[in-house]
Amino acid sequence: MLKTLGLSLLFMASLSGCAYNSVFVNYPSQIAPYKQQLASNSPTTNITALADNISGNDGLLYAQESGRIMQVAGDFEQSKTYYQQAIVAYQAFDDKATISASQLGAGASSILLNDNAIPYRGSGYERIMLHQYQALNYLFSGDAQGALVEVRRSNELQSMEQARYQQSQESVQAMANGTIDAQMAQLGQAAGSVTSSFLNAYSYYITGLLHELANEPNDAFIDYRKAAQITPDNRYLQQDLVRLAKQLAMPQYDEFAKRWGDAVLPTADQGQVVFIVERSFVPEKQSITVPFSINGNWQTASLATYQRQMPLAEQSQIGGLGQTLYADSIAHIDALAINALKEDLPAALIRQAARIYAKYELNQSVQSSSRRASNQVDAAAMVMQIFNVISEQADRRSWLTLPRQATNSQTVYRRR
Amino acid sequence: MKNLKLIFVLAAVMGLSACQSKVEYGDATEVETVNENFGSTDLQDIAAKMVDSMMTFPPVVVMTQTNRPIIFVDKIKNKTSEHIDTESVTDTISNKLLRSGKFRFIDMTKVDAVRKQLDYQNNAGMVDPTTAIKFGRQIGAQYMLYGNLSSIVKQDGSTKDVYYKMTMRLMDLETGLIEWSDEKEIRKVKSKSFLGL
Repeated sequence: MLKTLGLSLLFMASLSGCAYNSVFVNYPSQIAPYKQQLASNSPTTNITALADNISGNDGLLYAQESGRIMQVAGDFEQSKTYYQQAIVAYQAFDDKATISASQLGAGASSILLNDNAIPYRGSGYERIMLHQYQALNYLFSGDAQGALVEVRRSNELQSMEQARYQQSQESVQAMANGTIDAQMAQLGQAAGSVTSSFLNAYSYYITGLLHELANEPNDAFIDYRKAAQITPDNRYLQQDLVRLAKQLAMPQYDEFAKRWGDAVLPTADQGQVVFIVERSFVPEKQSITVPFSINGNWQTASLATYQRQMPLAEQSQIGGLGQTLYADSIAHIDALAINALKEDLPAALIRQAARIYAKYELNQSVQSSSRRASNQVDAAAMVMQIFNVISEQADRRSWLTLPRQATNSQTVYRRR
Repeated sequence: MKNLKLIFVLAAVMGLSACQSKVEYGDATEVETVNENFGSTDLQDIAAKMVDSMMTFPPVVVMTQTNRPIIFVDKIKNKTSEHIDTESVTDTISNKLLRSGKFRFIDMTKVDAVRKQLDYQNNAGMVDPTTAIKFGRQIGAQYMLYGNLSSIVKQDGSTKDVYYKMTMRLMDLETGLIEWSDEKEIRKVKSKSFLGL
């Protein structure tokens, strides 16, 4: 019986590739040293050990992390390559058949081991962030047209996300209509924060900014308006909207000006400086493990969760410019991450139940066959139980080098 | 357990058979449908349509009857959500126009290289001045060929619809008039397979 189990395990391993990175070693502990490096003043660019995993099962995840680390370290070309690998991986998942043999194989592995055996597929918000960061890579390496391509991809994905929540979120519907009515503003943070945990105002802001840089103010206006719908309290976003509404002679100009004050247009000898400040790291998934026994067989159930975090201050300060600038919060990435997990939970629970059943059945069969063989200490069954407890690990994978919060600020500067 | 084992064996066999790979030559003009992204067939269709349209447009026919107009090709603006090498599209179009023998072209991508070479010939002191090509003798273009490529992508469940539109124009640089303009539309629909690897 153990032989069968060994054989099956071998087959599964060969089916779903050899890299079982997160199956036995939890993912956050793998990334922890890199995060520490990133938080220092001179981030490392030596990430070969991490990047080697890109060819493995969770390649998508490692490509995202590698790309982000290189981008923060300032190597935009290398970052672009890693992000491109992640984009290709997402597209490969898109192209997979509805019922695919390799996914079935991974699903079977997950039933005997744990959810980490399923290749990482990313979540909606991570994919949008990926294109947004890739757009910045193109911009920083001097390819404005390439940056706009990524912007359009990001917008396409955002509109797909938007469609998913259209039914349930009234504020999202208001956004599709393009109306920021006074009522919405009054509903204020409550509605705003609900929308902002599904949709990413940060991405809309970046795409708007890039449109503006590419001299496409009309497209910028559309994206800023969507961002403002998600985070209505951001002063800089409000100013951007008023400014563009005036510049483009939009019908909403009077309404915006009344609510947020008149537009301050930079004079001919002034330039606009935009600051984007990303703060902290997105929280790690924690696991809750519940041990219990069925007919004297020890089993454990492990699920991923997010612990309550101390809230970050809404504003961050930027010094060294003469006067201190205050950056307003534009998106809470942690809220997006928590929502993504919430969506995954029902499926994870079903897999968990199937796994407990499968492991219990395995235990039973090992027990009965080894008892038949000898009447002595049931070594095989004990090994099985230890295997069960050890192999039960919560799926704690997520893109961990993302910031927890994004803030923005801007000022006008006199040209010299 | 027995069933489970059978599934694993089956899966392993399928995994093994997928490992065989081979390389073979194909027809360069064959219809390519590997995925829904912009591909060689789209490029060839666009180039064929544009060249055909331009060469048969009556005013252009009149224009090319007595002389060979000089054209320069501006870069085609990529407004799609894919990274497309638009220079390759313009290359194909200008190749076809040039091969027709009715137009002459100026290559703006090589201006820097030409300037360097002329600078070398005239100022390096290495080239016989009588054979050196003088500055300021090149002929100016009379027309500009330009365009843009845009796309609309829609996706719902297992269906993805991609629509491309290529617009091209020929402008008379002296008068600023558009002498010719046309567009080529392409639509691709992709539906995901239900069963697969």
